[in-house]
Amino acid sequence: MANKPSTPKPSSPATGSFWQRNRRELTFLILFVVILGGSFTLISLNWVNDHAVEPFTAGIAKMSGGVLRVMGQNVTMAGTVIRNPRFAVNIRNGCNGVEAMLIFIAAVLAFPASWKSRLTGLALGILAIQVVNLVRVVALFLTGVYFPKIFDTSHTVIWQTIVILCGVLLWIFWANRFATPPASEPAT
Amino acid sequence: MTTAKSSPRNWGLQLVLNALLWVIPVALVWLLATPVYNRFLLGSAENLVRLTESPNMTNLLRKDDHFAYVQRRDFPPSKSLVHSFRVTDVHFHLLMLGVLFLAVPRVPWRRKLENLGWAVLITIFFDILLIFFYVKFAYATQLGAWSLEHYGAFSRNFWGLGKHLLDLPFKFSLPFLLWAGFYVKDLMAEIRPRE
Repeated sequence: MANKPSTPKPSSPATGSFWQRNRRELTFLILFVVILGGSFTLISLNWVNDHAVEPFTAGIAKMSGGVLRVMGQNVTMAGTVIRNPRFAVNIRNGCNGVEAMLIFIAAVLAFPASWKSRLTGLALGILAIQVVNLVRVVALFLTGVYFPKIFDTSHTVIWQTIVILCGVLLWIFWANRFATPPASEPAT
Repeated sequence: MTTAKSSPRNWGLQLVLNALLWVIPVALVWLLATPVYNRFLLGSAENLVRLTESPNMTNLLRKDDHFAYVQRRDFPPSKSLVHSFRVTDVHFHLLMLGVLFLAVPRVPWRRKLENLGWAVLITIFFDILLIFFYVKFAYATQLGAWSLEHYGAFSRNFWGLGKHLLDLPFKFSLPFLLWAGFYVKDLMAEIRPRE
C-alpha cells in the first residue's frame, strides 16, 4: 500500500532498526501520551480547575438547561447543577466532554499533518464532541427523571463510551480523510 | 465487516461504519462477561494489594454484580468497610476496545483476532493495576487521621495523581492507544496527498 521511495537509501525502512522502521508511528504514540498526560496533569491543578474547567462546565450546564427548558422541563441552573422538582444533576469532570476533547486534541496534535488540517480538525472535532456531550447531559437528565433505575449504568457506561468512541472515530476519520501530510514530509 | 475495495480515503469511513455495526454485539458480550470478570478482577487486585502489605490486611469484597467494598481486617468490625467502588466502571473501556479492533477494514480476521487478544490481555493487566490504585488512593487520602498517620505528603500526592491519571486519561484512552499501537501503520499507509 505504501509508495516505494524512488531513490534507494543506505538503510531502507525494511532493513533498519525497529525505531527506523516505525519512526513515524512511534513518534505519534510518544507525542500522544506526552500531550495527553501533560494536559490531564494541567487540568488536575486546582487553579486551572477553578478558573477554566469549572466555568466551562457551568457553560455546559447552562446550555443543557436551556435545551431542557425548550423541551418543556421546568429546570433551574446554579453553577454546574441542573435541577427540577424531581431530579438534579451536578456536572463534574468526566461528564463535561473535556476528557474526550483532550484525547482528540492530543491525537490531532501528535499526528503528522499540516497545521491547516490540524486547526480545521480541532475546530470541527471539538464542536462535534461538545454537541454529542450536550445530547448526553440532556439525555442523562431525562433518564434520571423518567428512568432513574438505569441512570447509573447510562451515566458511567453507555454515555462515557459513546462520547469517547465518538472522539476516537472522529479522529480516525479526520486522519484518514483530511490530514494532509506537512509539506516537508512525503506521504507514505 | 466491509471488505469491498475502494479508494484509500474511504478506509476511515469504512472503519466508522463497521464500528457502528459492532457496538451492539460487543456490548452484549461485555454485559454477559461482566459479573465473572468483576470477580476475577477483585481476586487478582486483592492478591496484588497483599503483595504490598505484611501481614495481609486487605479484603476486596463483592457487594453485588457491580459494586465492591475495600475491607481492612485490622479495623473494628463496624468500621472495617473503608471504601466502596463500582467495579464495572473500571473496565467499560473493553467495549471501546472490542469495537475499535473488530472494525478495522481490509485486515485478515486471523491478524485482527490476534491483535485483539493481545490488546485484551494488556487491558486486563491495566484493570488490575487500576483497582490497586483505587485501594491505595483510598488508604492514602480517604481515611482521615489514619491516612495522615500512615502516608506522607509525597505518598498522598503520588497515589492521588496516579489514580487520577489512570482513572481518567489512561482508562479512557487505553483502547485508542492500543488500537493506534497495532493499526496506526495501516492508517498512515492509507493516507495519500490530496489531488
